[in-house]
Amino acid sequence: MNELHIASAFDRDLEAIQAILMKMGGMVETAILDSAKSLETRDVELAEQVRKKDKAIDALEEQVNEEAARLIALRAPTAGDLRTVLTVIKISANLERCGDYAKNLAKRTSVLAQTTSVEGTSTSIRRMSREVQMMLKDALDAYIQRDADLAEQIIQRDEDVDQMYTALFRELLTHMMEDPRNITPCMHLHFIAKNIERMGDHVTSVAEQVVYLVTGQMPDDARPKQDRTPFMTEEG
Amino acid sequence: MDDLRGIERAIEMQETKIAAKGVDVFYGDTHAIKDVNVEIAEKTVTAFIGPSGCGKSTFLRCLNRMNDTIDVARVSGSIMLDGEDIYDPKVDPVQLRAKVGMVFQKPNPFPKSIYDNIAYGPRIHGLASGKAELDEIVEKSLRRGAIWEEVKDRLDQPGTGLSGGQQQRLCIARAIATEPEVLLMDEPCSALDPIATAQVEELIDELRQNYSVVIVTHSMQQAARVSQKTAFFHLGDLVEFGETATIFTNPVDSRTESYITGRIG
Repeated sequence: MNELHIASAFDRDLEAIQAILMKMGGMVETAILDSAKSLETRDVELAEQVRKKDKAIDALEEQVNEEAARLIALRAPTAGDLRTVLTVIKISANLERCGDYAKNLAKRTSVLAQTTSVEGTSTSIRRMSREVQMMLKDALDAYIQRDADLAEQIIQRDEDVDQMYTALFRELLTHMMEDPRNITPCMHLHFIAKNIERMGDHVTSVAEQVVYLVTGQMPDDARPKQDRTPFMTEEG
Repeated sequence: MDDLRGIERAIEMQETKIAAKGVDVFYGDTHAIKDVNVEIAEKTVTAFIGPSGCGKSTFLRCLNRMNDTIDVARVSGSIMLDGEDIYDPKVDPVQLRAKVGMVFQKPNPFPKSIYDNIAYGPRIHGLASGKAELDEIVEKSLRRGAIWEEVKDRLDQPGTGLSGGQQQRLCIARAIATEPEVLLMDEPCSALDPIATAQVEELIDELRQNYSVVIVTHSMQQAARVSQKTAFFHLGDLVEFGETATIFTNPVDSRTESYITGRIG
């Protein structure tokens, strides 16, 4: 259904709010990539930039909420229009959380830059964050294209992120057992990995919203859970 | 949420009051209603929506044979009220209309006193055996019409002297004075201000306890507010009929979606 509203201002309002959301999405993608890059290259300056830019992401979320409230009050959206407004609100909240996690990653980068590096882990983290960023990009594309099939694929892909996290968890555990001096950086790295894993969950939630937007139904919760760390011990 | 589900379940359990099967209406050569099948449930508000000329008023008028009064109108198919065909030659349209009352777009009180406006129907149908009983019917109807408090001290004054909103509630009170089983409302609020509209909508919700209400409205928000079932008509076809909440959140047909979201369709 791509027809235009009789009231063209309604179309402009709907387009405007989705444009803000996409701008927000782009900024969050950048934040994810830059924060992971700053960790790998120990670039404290880049980390600081990520922290500063998070304020702009938060401001955009506020703007989305205000516009959504105004649109509901003035236009009384129904059916697909209503789902658009509802999903915009939820997705903006997901994006805002992702932004916060990226900011936290950047904060820890500033601390980690002063400790000894733990071999290999920052590359694994970069790969994991790269995957989450790709998922987010695809989720936003699925939103714009109203592509429920693509969204379903993204939901499945969260499994890969969970697996990467589990692998990293083991890796960090090994490093800590090998040398207690690794504990401080590994604890930070573990929080970072966990935060990226949480970003993956938020991106999955974005994809679920796309399915709801297109079909009017939330997808079935048939996604396999790959995060086994709650049940893991030293023997793994 | 539990409450809402309770209401929805209650609707599911309601029995069919009016069953229309394969209804076609022609005005001369114009095919105004095309093979419409719909079941109106008991004690439920059903809203008919659709663009001008889609046939919703025409179909509403079939339900109490108001189309009989139009010479060129021809109705075919079957409309059963409680299992009885209302187009059966043995059915007296006047008796039928006492059972299936109607309220129109413009308030049309009789040029008589407020009292006589209400008493007229019960009198001609012989529903009251004396003055006391008639007084009782008048009071009860005006109370159910949510207008008693405003008019109880001036029942002898002309109904036409009331405000638009009061006149419309008077007409609703008049329609329910004959104890109908179904109430048809054709755009009952289009001439009313928002306050009077809210009062009539509140009244419709109360009437649902006892009657089947079928309302034709151009206001989609009104349909969403007052009805449990919604039927969308387009170019004489019944495009979609279902739970109001479903129609307004996730309609099946793209034409329904285009119409309710205000798109050109």
